[in-house]
Amino acid sequence: MKVFGEIRHEQVKIGGESGKAYSSLRSTDLFSAAAIMGILALIVINKAGGLIYNRTFGDGLNQLGTNDYLVLAGTFHGVHAITTRLSPIKPQQQVGADGIPGRPDPPSGLEVLETENFWLQCFNTLTGTKFLLFTDTLQTNVDIAMRKVYDLYADYVTKNPFYQLENPIRCDTFDRKLNSYIRETNNAR
Amino acid sequence: MSNLQAPRAGAKEPSGLRYPTNGKTIYHRPLNRAKAAELSGASFAYLFSEMVSYASKKIESIQDLEKRLNVQGHPIGLKLLDLLLYREPARSQTRPLNIITLLHFIKNNVWQHLFGQAADGLEKSSDPSKPDEYMIIDNEPLVNRYISVPRDMSQLNCAAYVAGIIEGVCDGSAFPARVTAHSVGKQEEGEMWPGRTVFLVKFAPEVMERENFLGKG
Amino acid sequence: MPVQVYSLYIFDRHTECIYSKQWVQPATPASSTLPSTVTDQHRQTNGTELAATAAEQLPPKPRRNKGADDAKLIFGTVFSLRNMVRKLGGDDDAFISFRTAQYKLHYYETPTNLRFALLTEPGALSMRNVLHQIYINLWVEYVVKNPLSPVEHKGGEGVRNEMFELGLDKFIRGLM
Repeated sequence: MKVFGEIRHEQVKIGGESGKAYSSLRSTDLFSAAAIMGILALIVINKAGGLIYNRTFGDGLNQLGTNDYLVLAGTFHGVHAITTRLSPIKPQQQVGADGIPGRPDPPSGLEVLETENFWLQCFNTLTGTKFLLFTDTLQTNVDIAMRKVYDLYADYVTKNPFYQLENPIRCDTFDRKLNSYIRETNNAR
Repeated sequence: MSNLQAPRAGAKEPSGLRYPTNGKTIYHRPLNRAKAAELSGASFAYLFSEMVSYASKKIESIQDLEKRLNVQGHPIGLKLLDLLLYREPARSQTRPLNIITLLHFIKNNVWQHLFGQAADGLEKSSDPSKPDEYMIIDNEPLVNRYISVPRDMSQLNCAAYVAGIIEGVCDGSAFPARVTAHSVGKQEEGEMWPGRTVFLVKFAPEVMERENFLGKG
Repeated sequence: MPVQVYSLYIFDRHTECIYSKQWVQPATPASSTLPSTVTDQHRQTNGTELAATAAEQLPPKPRRNKGADDAKLIFGTVFSLRNMVRKLGGDDDAFISFRTAQYKLHYYETPTNLRFALLTEPGALSMRNVLHQIYINLWVEYVVKNPLSPVEHKGGEGVRNEMFELGLDKFIRGLM
């Protein structure tokens, strides 16, 4: 019994010390604590505002129910449409080489959203599909990651004969390639 | 074969588009004159995607779909055999005369021409009761690169099209066979070749009979 | 670093826009290039009740509707985004800003549910401290501490006093 008690005592002590080390790491070394995150989630919204793909990679964001994600996609779609209308300045007229004024760029709508806990980058394709990439606030080169995700989509989703456009994306090859790319980028940090 | 080579050797023949002086005819060159004579992978992917969609219309079973893809590939195999043999150097310009030569021809020449690399493996069935079965293995078939087969069609492999090409080559060289494509890649995480495909070549009984007779002789 | 500031909107806890100010000419050509049906529809829906509240804010008629419209749209946007951010990032998360290719919107919320939205050029750095300064040095000083100002600012009442407006204009022009 005595031996048992001692061992238990030892365990408590070890536990206490490691707990302390962990908390000090959290408070002082924010950078390395955040390095395990990187890209947190990807959401794809079709041109009608429907959610067609949704995947989380880290635990930096709250997990929502399927229904909540659908609502979120719809909300974001609406907000995005409004943000294109809010520009307070008139679009710049671009004059071509021949002196004829060109058509100004269409307003872009929301591209980057910043909050205290995460960043959201939105890429709107010419056909109206939206890619939302959620990252932590320290992630760099989100543009490159977004491009790669779009590449993967163009390859493994749109070239797949069994994928119906605008429908939920269920492509194993896309999942696999996306997972390995995200793991690679998140580990590289 | 010998009379085919006559014009090339004969100096009296007029040189022209059909028989140029260097002996290299239009059939020896790809139509595409660019240095790297390559086709766009994306164009092929979209084309093949449409071919699969077309073949999936009004099908009753997965076997139906595979059969249709197989039929689409068959004539290509027949024609490809002619072209590739014609491009061979004059002395080896004969069609394969036994199973092993034929399979090597497919694994190397046909694969190199179609996909830019030789197939990844060639095996004979280890089952003694099936001496007529051979396997050509491709770790990542080009046609399947962008294809994710839905769960409810899990036994489908769109490389049935390539199986049709192989079948065409076999038929064309008088080795009638049934060729089918089977996925053997494991779907687990971290699998090196999730799309690994085996083309099972099953020769007709008369082929085996002839092969045995020739082997004894 | 000078920053081009476009406009500022303040919303009270009843989600009403109680103050808005533009520092650039609003994009009237852009709104007139919209399909005529859209603009007409807007005139109809906003017709009477909005004209009354916005009457003293902006003098010319077409801009008045657009200004009130924009304020509603901006509130809708920041409100939706704020809720979305809280859902995803947790209840302690706060929405700071969003950017499009044309502008950047900075958001600041006080504990009393007063909301500030500042529109600047897209390349601007974080304006959080600027909004905080506006709140503590201008709002609290000249609106909250003003004995003549009511507690609730219905229709912008009590906000549009000389001290606040002059101070705000001076402060924002100092940034530009």
